[in-house]
Amino acid sequence: MGSVSLEGVSKSFGAIKVIHGADLDIQDGEFVVFVGPSGCGKSTLLRMIAGLESISHGSLRIGDRLVTDVEPGDRGISMVFQSYALYPHMDVTENLSFGLRMNGNKAADTSERVRGAASVLQLDSLLARLPKQLSGGQRQRVAIGRSIVRKPQVFLFDEPLSNLDAELRVQMRVEIARLHHELGATMIYVTHDQTEAMTLADRIVVLRAGHIEQVGTPLALYTDPDNQFVAGFIGSPRMNFLTGEARGHVDGRQAVVLSGQGDAVVEVALSQPLPSGTPVSLGLRPEHAQVGSPGPGTFTTTIDVVEYLGATSYLYSGTTTKEPLIVARQGVHTDRAGDQVVVGVPPDKAILFAADGTRLR
Amino acid sequence: MRQRTQTAYGFLSPYLLIFAIFWLWPIIHSFYLSFLSTRRQPWSFNPGMTWGRLTQDPAFYNALWNTLKILAIQVPVMLTLATLLAVLLNSTLLRARGLIRFAFFAPVVIGEAAYAAVFRLMFNDEFGIVNKTLEGIGLDAVSWFSNPTAAMSLIIIAVTWRWVGYNAIIILSGLQSIPQDVYEAATLDRVSPRQQFLYITLPLLKPVIVFCLVLSVIGSMQLFAEPYLITNLGGPGGATETLGLYLYKQAFLNLNFGYASAIAYTIAALAVSISILNLWLGRERS
Repeated sequence: MGSVSLEGVSKSFGAIKVIHGADLDIQDGEFVVFVGPSGCGKSTLLRMIAGLESISHGSLRIGDRLVTDVEPGDRGISMVFQSYALYPHMDVTENLSFGLRMNGNKAADTSERVRGAASVLQLDSLLARLPKQLSGGQRQRVAIGRSIVRKPQVFLFDEPLSNLDAELRVQMRVEIARLHHELGATMIYVTHDQTEAMTLADRIVVLRAGHIEQVGTPLALYTDPDNQFVAGFIGSPRMNFLTGEARGHVDGRQAVVLSGQGDAVVEVALSQPLPSGTPVSLGLRPEHAQVGSPGPGTFTTTIDVVEYLGATSYLYSGTTTKEPLIVARQGVHTDRAGDQVVVGVPPDKAILFAADGTRLR
Repeated sequence: MRQRTQTAYGFLSPYLLIFAIFWLWPIIHSFYLSFLSTRRQPWSFNPGMTWGRLTQDPAFYNALWNTLKILAIQVPVMLTLATLLAVLLNSTLLRARGLIRFAFFAPVVIGEAAYAAVFRLMFNDEFGIVNKTLEGIGLDAVSWFSNPTAAMSLIIIAVTWRWVGYNAIIILSGLQSIPQDVYEAATLDRVSPRQQFLYITLPLLKPVIVFCLVLSVIGSMQLFAEPYLITNLGGPGGATETLGLYLYKQAFLNLNFGYASAIAYTIAALAVSISILNLWLGRERS
C-alpha cells in the first residue's frame, strides 16, 4: 500500500514556522502535485515526507505504518532530486545499483532490476557512461531509474524538470506520466510550473506560506477555486481580478459595479446575496471575457498590447494600472494596440471574492 | 595589438629580470655546476666526482633512505589524519568551527625556529612534558634525541603536527564542494554514513587528496628545517639526515657546490617522478 497520510504536520526552523499543520490524504497509486510560489514550503513538505527534514509536530503514515520518526531509507520511498544528485564518479550501472549493493542485495537480483529500469527508461546503451557524459534529460532518466530499482511504495519528485530546456521538459513530462501509468505507484511531485501540475496530476495541492490552500483535481482548481490565491495561481494567463462593489441581488445574480472599469455594472451568479456596498473582487478568466458590442454587463477598454499566438490572441489592457486585464480571443483577428474593445462578463463564468480573498458562492 | 603586447612585456620586465637572475640562471648554472669538481680550486669538469659519486656515496643513500622513510610513513599518516580532521571540521555538530579551523591551520604560520624550539623542549629527555607524561602513566622515558628510531619518530610527529591542519583545510574545501544532495540520495538508498564516507566522500575527494599528496611529496623531498633545528643537523649520527639537509651540508658546510647541485637535481627528479606517479594513479576516470 503506497498511501500517504499527513495529520497536522508542522515544521519550524527555530522560531520560524514554515509548514502550518498540513492535513492531507494521498491514495495508493495517486499522482499528487504540490504547487505554489517560491518559498511556500512545497519542497520542505516533500522532504519531510522523505525524512530528510524532521517533522516538528504531527504525524506521517505511509501505507499502514507510522513513519514520523522512521529513518529516510526505511520509509519505503525514493526521491528524484532537482539536481539529479547522481554519484559523479560512478557510471550509470553503478549509480542505479549502488543502494542495492550497499544493502547486500543479491547480485543477480540487482542486475535484473538495473536491466529492467534501464529498459523502461531507454538507458540500455548508456549504462557504461559517467553522469558527466550524459545530457540533462539522460541524467534525469538515470535519477528516475535509481528510484525505480528500489521498488518503493512512493516516488517523490522535487522539481525534477526545472533544469531542462523547454523541449526536454515536455518529453520528460510525458515520460513521467507514462511511468506512472506503467508502474501504478504513488507519486508526489513538486513543481512551480503549473503546466506540469495541470498535465500530470490526479490531484493538485496548492500551498502558500506553509498553508495548504486547496486540494483538488486540476479541473476543479481551475473552474472552482476556493480563494483568490488559488484562482490567480492556477491558469495561464492568470485570472483577471476586477475591483468592484456589490449592488442588488436578483434571481441568483449579484450586481457588481466595477469601479476600475468606468463603473460598469455586471452580473455574477451568486446564491448568497451580498449587502449593497460590500467590496468584492470579480474573477474572470481571459478566455471567458467576451469581446462583443456594447450592452448590459459590458465595459469598454483600450488595448495596450496584442500577442498573436495563431489560434488565440491575447489582448492586454490597463497594463500600467493596478488592474490589468487580459482577454483571450479565439480565431484570427486584426486587433491592434490602441483599439478600443467592448468586453462582456458572462454571469455564469465570473466568480466573486471577498476583500480577504475568500470565495463568495 | 603588437604595441599592447610590447607594453605588457614592458611592465612585466622588472619581474622577468629578477626571475631570470635569481631563478632561471641559478637553475641552469647549477646544472652546469653538477658536472664540475668543486672541492678545490680551480673547478674542473669531472662528472665522476658529482654524478659518479652519487651512485656510491653511503651518506647520500642514508639521506635518501631517511627521506623515503619519512615519505612512506609521515605522508600517509598525515593525509589520513588530515582527511579525518577535515570531516570533523565540516561537521555541523562542531561549535566555533571558524576558530577551530584557524587553530589547526596556525602551525603553518608559526616560525620554524620557534616551533622547533618548543618541540625540543617538549621532547627533552629529562624535563620534557612528553617524557614526564610517559613516566606519569608508568611507561619508560624515551631518548628522543639519541635513539635513532625515536629521533625519526620525533621528526615525523613534528612534520605531521605542522602540516596536518594545512592539508585538512585544503581537503575541507574539497569536502564542501561535494553537493549535499548526493548524500541525501545515498541516505534514501539506505547507505550508512560509514559507507557514504568510503564510497562517496573518499572517491570524490581523490583529486584533492592527490593534490595534497603531490605537495607533501615535494615537501618531504625538500625536508630541511626539522632535522636541522630539532634533531640538531640530522642526528643522532645521521639517523634523521634528509636529502635536503645533506644537500645543505655539502653546499654550505663543505662548500662542494658541484656535488650539491647533482644532489639538488636528483631531489628534483625524484620529486617530479613520484608526483607524476601520484597524478597517474589519481587520474580521473573517463
